[in-house]
Amino acid sequence: MKVAPWICRSCLTRISRSPLRRLARFQSTTSTSESISPALLARARTIASEQKELTEKLANGFDARAAKKLGQQSAIVNALQTWDKANESVTELVSLIHDPTTDAELRDLAADDLGSSRTALAEAAKSLTTSLVPIHPFAHLPCLLEIRPGAGGSEAAIFAGDLVRMYESFCNRNNIRTTFLKYENVNGTSEAGLPLSEAVIEVESENAYGLFRCEAGVHRVQRVPVTETKGRTHTSAASVLVLPSLQENSLGEADFEDPESDYYVDLKEVRVEVMRAGGAGGQHVNKTESAVRLTHLPTNTVVSIQDSRSQSKNKDKAWQLLRSRLAQARREKREDEIVAMRRSVVGVAKMGRGDKIRTYNWGQQRVTDHRSGTTVHDLDDVIQGGQTLEKVMESVRNWLIEKDVEAMIAEEEFAKK
Amino acid sequence: MPRLPYSLLWKARAVDHLLPPLVKQCRDVHAAQNELRWLRAHADTLSRPNSKAHDGLLRKMVEQRSTGMPLQYILGTEFFGDLEIKCRPGVLIPRQETAASVTYLAQLLQRAKNLPSQLHVMDLCTGTGCIPLLFQHELHAARRDIQVYCLGVDISTKALDLAKSNLRKLQKTEPAIVPNLMKFMRADILKEPDNDVPSVLPSLKAALELNRKPKQWDILISNPPYISPSAYWKTTTRSVRGFEPKLALVPKAELGGTDTEQGDAFYPRLLATAVEIDAKVVLFEVADLDQAVRVAHLARKTNAFDGIEIWRDQPDQDDLEQVPENISKDRSCFPIIGAGNGRSVLLYRGVGASWLGMPAPMQGTLEQQQVSL
Ligand SMILES: C[S@@+](CC[C@H](N)C(=O)[O-])C[C@H]1O[C@@H](n2cnc3c(N)ncnc32)[C@H](O)[C@@H]1O
Repeated sequence: MKVAPWICRSCLTRISRSPLRRLARFQSTTSTSESISPALLARARTIASEQKELTEKLANGFDARAAKKLGQQSAIVNALQTWDKANESVTELVSLIHDPTTDAELRDLAADDLGSSRTALAEAAKSLTTSLVPIHPFAHLPCLLEIRPGAGGSEAAIFAGDLVRMYESFCNRNNIRTTFLKYENVNGTSEAGLPLSEAVIEVESENAYGLFRCEAGVHRVQRVPVTETKGRTHTSAASVLVLPSLQENSLGEADFEDPESDYYVDLKEVRVEVMRAGGAGGQHVNKTESAVRLTHLPTNTVVSIQDSRSQSKNKDKAWQLLRSRLAQARREKREDEIVAMRRSVVGVAKMGRGDKIRTYNWGQQRVTDHRSGTTVHDLDDVIQGGQTLEKVMESVRNWLIEKDVEAMIAEEEFAKK
Repeated sequence: MPRLPYSLLWKARAVDHLLPPLVKQCRDVHAAQNELRWLRAHADTLSRPNSKAHDGLLRKMVEQRSTGMPLQYILGTEFFGDLEIKCRPGVLIPRQETAASVTYLAQLLQRAKNLPSQLHVMDLCTGTGCIPLLFQHELHAARRDIQVYCLGVDISTKALDLAKSNLRKLQKTEPAIVPNLMKFMRADILKEPDNDVPSVLPSLKAALELNRKPKQWDILISNPPYISPSAYWKTTTRSVRGFEPKLALVPKAELGGTDTEQGDAFYPRLLATAVEIDAKVVLFEVADLDQAVRVAHLARKTNAFDGIEIWRDQPDQDDLEQVPENISKDRSCFPIIGAGNGRSVLLYRGVGASWLGMPAPMQGTLEQQQVSL
């Protein structure tokens, strides 16, 4: 007999309220279309028949790639089955109602049932549609948030610091562990309270990439800076990058060693520099420099870390950041290719990464996300990482799914022509 | 030393009033900022932040540092690879370059298929004990199947006390480090085994017998004093001269010879020891490429080794440096590996070649070659 582990009630409610949990759920509940587009239905059917083949392949011997694909597709196949069942019962009820031989009592019963069956069908259509949206390949991973001031001088640096605190307290409230991989203020030290120059926060929970993915982009602030004497409102900006965090334990070893994978780095292509005091080294000097700089030569990506007294710890952190940046860059290149293709094929527009995504207006106490079009008025709660921020973030995730669904439908229809 | 530009100190003052004395010592604002951060963190562990005691403590530490006292003595530790090693005045502070060579050696050996199930490692001139501690740690990480038995030898009782104290500290946190497999012992490694009059300071051979230690050792490592008297004045920094023990840096003057010979004084005895204990792999740290080449030639003359390599500071990195003209002539004789200054000499023989993943030694035994000469 299985014994269920004892979990305290408040933990359970806390977990169920967590945005990570909601994230897992909303993939299957959000959609715009009432009924499913025929093109998407056709795609789902193709996938279902493909799955039969895959299952046979697996029965004949283990194939890791096939197994993975099968796992991803079973959600679609299940959703399709549910939809088929719901569709069947609606069709049956309708034909019963329209059949002149049906007696009045039965017809009434059928009419009663039809309402709820229609709702079930609509639900099933939604689930089926969202199940077809490909899940981002990094979505399950922990992530790194890189935050830097953009245009706007020291006010931008102060705002960048505000964003760091916003995400930190958002994570705190939701019991998501964070650590600083790097924190540098304008003086090059890590003392808090000074304008920020660069911060890298590691968000350690699974699915963090999926949760924060939509935060990437330029965040704009409009307010009267503390340094402004004439009371004028300034506009400045800070940028947020979201990278997958690639700790060894979040990925299989195979992912690091397969040259085809986004996570692969050829060690020979990375120059490792430890900052030397110059001169003779060895017993001649007792230097304290422990900084490490890594350069990925083919892409000229440079990462340097000097936080710890331990050179070896700095090296580990630098490798982690370098791997994350390279993986993200490769992914973006692929995504750009897909976007370009979609644009040329069906004219679907997508926001570029350099575009401003959100405005924080202090004077009006308002936050507007330019992608989902959502505006909220509780700026303080947003900037303190509260519920209102979660609301904005969720609106963007839903917006992204809608976009993906639109693009998918357009593509399917184009393919049919 | 050239004076620092006044503007630099002024800029540093604007950041933090404690920074200028550190900038004078580090000669670089970034490095000084890091040091101040570490000192502050250290003060945090000793007293309540923002208290009077904290302020006083931090100011005192900055003052000490500005006199040239090594940061590692003030904080009491230095990182050596992954290990945090205790440091104390009177014992040399472990160097990053040493850690890089030891780590690289352990990495090469990790892949060996035919290592003995108990590997015997001797470290001569062990100081804080950092070398055997790191070696055991690194090899264990990849090879749970191999027991690494280490012996660290030093002449200084201060060093030996500290080495033992490091062992006690690290055995608590590092599963690889086991007291049964890590011993420290006192001996004068320069004393010839033959004219060993019984005394408080035994030769290595006598000490091994006295302590019932094995006569044969698989691996010999040493970072001996290697600085010549003139280089001591010309090349070492003031902080090294003022605060680190000369015994650890410059071979004793009684050994005689030219300035260069005095700097090289430990290597002939170390090479002889390597042969006596039948070491298969040998790693000696050196001051620079010139000394590396001299030691390599000495090693070749013994006819005991199948392979000789010179390693730079970062043996795992590609060569970015130019090899100087006078040495490039010797290059054909000794492969030079890695990036940075010339840092160590690797020797191997017999089965050692295969442990290191090197091509098998040339055909015919050394004796045969000598006969044919
Ligand atoms: C350069 S330090 C190396 C310390 C340590 N292995 C390291 O890498 O940090 C040299 C050490 O050799 C010791 N030493 C000097 N003369 C010696 C001798 N004749 N016999 C044994 N040890 C000696 C010194 O006490 C000192 O600890």
